Amino acid sequence: MPENIDIRGDAFLDSLVADLKPVAPLRQGMGMAFASLALALGATLVVAVLGLRRDLAAGHPDPFVLTAAGVFLVLALASAWGAIDMARPAVGIRRDGWGWTAAMAAVVPGSALALILTDLVTGQAIDFDRGGIVCLALGIGIGLLTGGALILWLRRGAPSSPTRAGLLIGVAAGAAGIFAVSLWCPHDNLLHIGIWHGATVVFAGLLGRIGLPRLLRW
Amino acid sequence: MIADEATLARLAALAQRGDRQAYAAMLAACRSWLLRYYRRKVCAEQIDDLVQETLLSVHRKLASYDPSRPVIPWLAAIARYRFVDHLRAAYRNAADSVQEDDIAAADDKEQAVVARLSLDRLFEALPQAQCRAIELVKLEGLSISEASASTGQSESLVKVNIHRGLKRLAALIERA
Repeated sequence: MPENIDIRGDAFLDSLVADLKPVAPLRQGMGMAFASLALALGATLVVAVLGLRRDLAAGHPDPFVLTAAGVFLVLALASAWGAIDMARPAVGIRRDGWGWTAAMAAVVPGSALALILTDLVTGQAIDFDRGGIVCLALGIGIGLLTGGALILWLRRGAPSSPTRAGLLIGVAAGAAGIFAVSLWCPHDNLLHIGIWHGATVVFAGLLGRIGLPRLLRW
Repeated sequence: MIADEATLARLAALAQRGDRQAYAAMLAACRSWLLRYYRRKVCAEQIDDLVQETLLSVHRKLASYDPSRPVIPWLAAIARYRFVDHLRAAYRNAADSVQEDDIAAADDKEQAVVARLSLDRLFEALPQAQCRAIELVKLEGLSISEASASTGQSESLVKVNIHRGLKRLAALIERA
């Protein structure tokens, strides 16, 4: 509560007026610039510390890796857009556009799961890369930059559903983090990218959904 | 008299730039609107507190108003958020919730806007059992056992319906 605010009657309004300070409206573009900066910082950090994938460094990127990384980047931006827009509440606004992007991105892990299921049904050995947990941990860690930027932004705003805002921040952070990790990750097979990179987004989304609402309530 | 949307939008934009005179007029208009808004669902003794809590949120979150959008849907979202928070926070003692007779007359256009943004509309989205449990316990001040006897739901089901209903209300705040 602002200092010196009397909460009774007209004196209450007078104290609010006396406490008024100019504020910059929360512009969607500014929020996206802030989140994009955090995403770019994460990607730069990964490349600077771990290096760039060989195919990317050679200028001949693997088409599947490039596509999957692009999908995660778009998911990160769409979720960040949705989260940032939640800072400005209004009855009558629909905010479910990001869900279609998430559904599109789910094709990658969905295909990996279908592949595993097929292998199980046909009795073939599953090439399940347990080392992918490194990507998951790195993705979550790097995603904290984007997640932190979004949390700061939304704490200035008034998200009407802290639970949904937490979920969106988590998904955006996980997708941003795993996009950055994709620039280094040497794997190029569907199982690794679908399962581990996809799990990073799901796990980060769950963390955001469970852990962030308390930071976003107002 | 409640300021029209264009006037409120101009006042809110000026308030964001630090104009205290405009801010005082905006807050007075918001208070009038909120008093009418809450009157359908909140008992008289609680309205002042809820209006003040909402105005305090308006004050704290002034930056969240987007000058390119209308003010009333923004104010209604904040009002709904505070209302759901209020339902969560406290069980009421008095059973004098809805005071239809006190509802002031409003012109047709304004009524249409208020109806679209109203708290009743929020409750319409709830399943009947959840809506009834919240109305009896949270709005009319009945105990869980009284609500159980009134609805025929078991006490644990009343609690579950309140919990699920409040969760759903919170998720529906921005839905018109």
